[in-house]
Amino acid sequence: MKRSGPLFTLLAGLLVALFMLSLNATTGTRSTSTGSESSPDAASVSPTPTATPAPSEPSPSPSPSKTAVPNGDYAGRTDDDSSAVAVTLRDGKAVAYFCDGRDQESWLKGDVKADGSMRLTSRSGGVLTGELTGKRIRGTVEMGQQDYGFTADKAVKPSGLYRATATVRGAEVDGGWIVLPDGRQVGIVKRDGKPAAAPLIDPETGAVTVDGQQLTARPVTP
Amino acid sequence: MTVDPNAATQGFPSPDPAHRRPGAARYLVPALVAGAVAVGLGVYGKVHDPEGTAFNLAGFNSTGAVKSWLATAAMGFAVVQFVSALMVYGRLPGPSWSGVLHRWSGRIAFLVAVPVAVHCLYALGYQTYEPRVLWHSLLGCFFFGAFSAKMLLLRSERLPGWVLPIVGGLVFSALTVVWLTSALWFFRTFGVTT
Repeated sequence: MKRSGPLFTLLAGLLVALFMLSLNATTGTRSTSTGSESSPDAASVSPTPTATPAPSEPSPSPSPSKTAVPNGDYAGRTDDDSSAVAVTLRDGKAVAYFCDGRDQESWLKGDVKADGSMRLTSRSGGVLTGELTGKRIRGTVEMGQQDYGFTADKAVKPSGLYRATATVRGAEVDGGWIVLPDGRQVGIVKRDGKPAAAPLIDPETGAVTVDGQQLTARPVTP
Repeated sequence: MTVDPNAATQGFPSPDPAHRRPGAARYLVPALVAGAVAVGLGVYGKVHDPEGTAFNLAGFNSTGAVKSWLATAAMGFAVVQFVSALMVYGRLPGPSWSGVLHRWSGRIAFLVAVPVAVHCLYALGYQTYEPRVLWHSLLGCFFFGAFSAKMLLLRSERLPGWVLPIVGGLVFSALTVVWLTSALWFFRTFGVTT
């Protein structure tokens, strides 16, 4: 009679592996069901951030009743087609990214007024003014000497705004990507502050390889 | 019980048929299974697109931390494996239940290592971009192949006495390097965190 214990051991390992794989396949990118998942989901913000009262202390009304500006992601191109602009709205706050895919980019932040107008500013003095009407943000970005008119349409996952930051071999890597509704990507990766065209990300998962290092670009929220 | 593992060798273009020397199948089947497991895992990790993320466990900040602690647990049981194996072979004084200890610590170590490997292969894939990662990928696949071979060899009777210690030692060494190139690296890089 042969020993069957070792076979059961192997079988148990196989079952555990299959169980984990099915768990990954069903929950990996969709919901954050298990515990404190650190990756936020793009389509639906993970329950914890939305549950906490959004940082809207100055507004007299509690945040849940603030329904004037719906949350949403918007992405589009500048009028001269040189650059891309993406805006993410969450609970009256906005973060925007302006990027030409080569060497010029800017992150802008600010508040959205109840009427849908917004004025976002970057650290380097760039200003984005825009207005949300229906499913579209129309506005202008002032970058240095130049103004860019832009139109950003409502974007659904996987299009939208992504960012990845990491340290790759001692260099601070900061990448930003706009995935346009037609699937095209505009992105810049800065290595220790020096911008360069970014490699493509996998918009489904945010996986991207920068200088051989596997990174995950995550949807950006204000 | 019939020697069904022979069936696997029929398609193999072996010059000497396995049914004439039943001893050959004892090594051939575990070796083929080990190769298939190791190569299969590596090919899966290489071919499919890494998902980047997978689900996390409650109480941990990153999957890297979860995996490092699971791997460290597996490594701990592997040390128990090494010591209890010495007891089974009489190189160390040990209790009468050292065989049971060896079997169950091995099972737990294996079952703890499986989720780590699933996450590695599912979320990260087989990568070669630096020596640490290359060795980790290579030996991680090798480990599961060697472990499969070890399990299958245990089912054979009258093996030469050196076979199991050699294969077991390979499994242990592979796991050690896999742990050094992942969990220890993680703890040294990010600190001993959860």
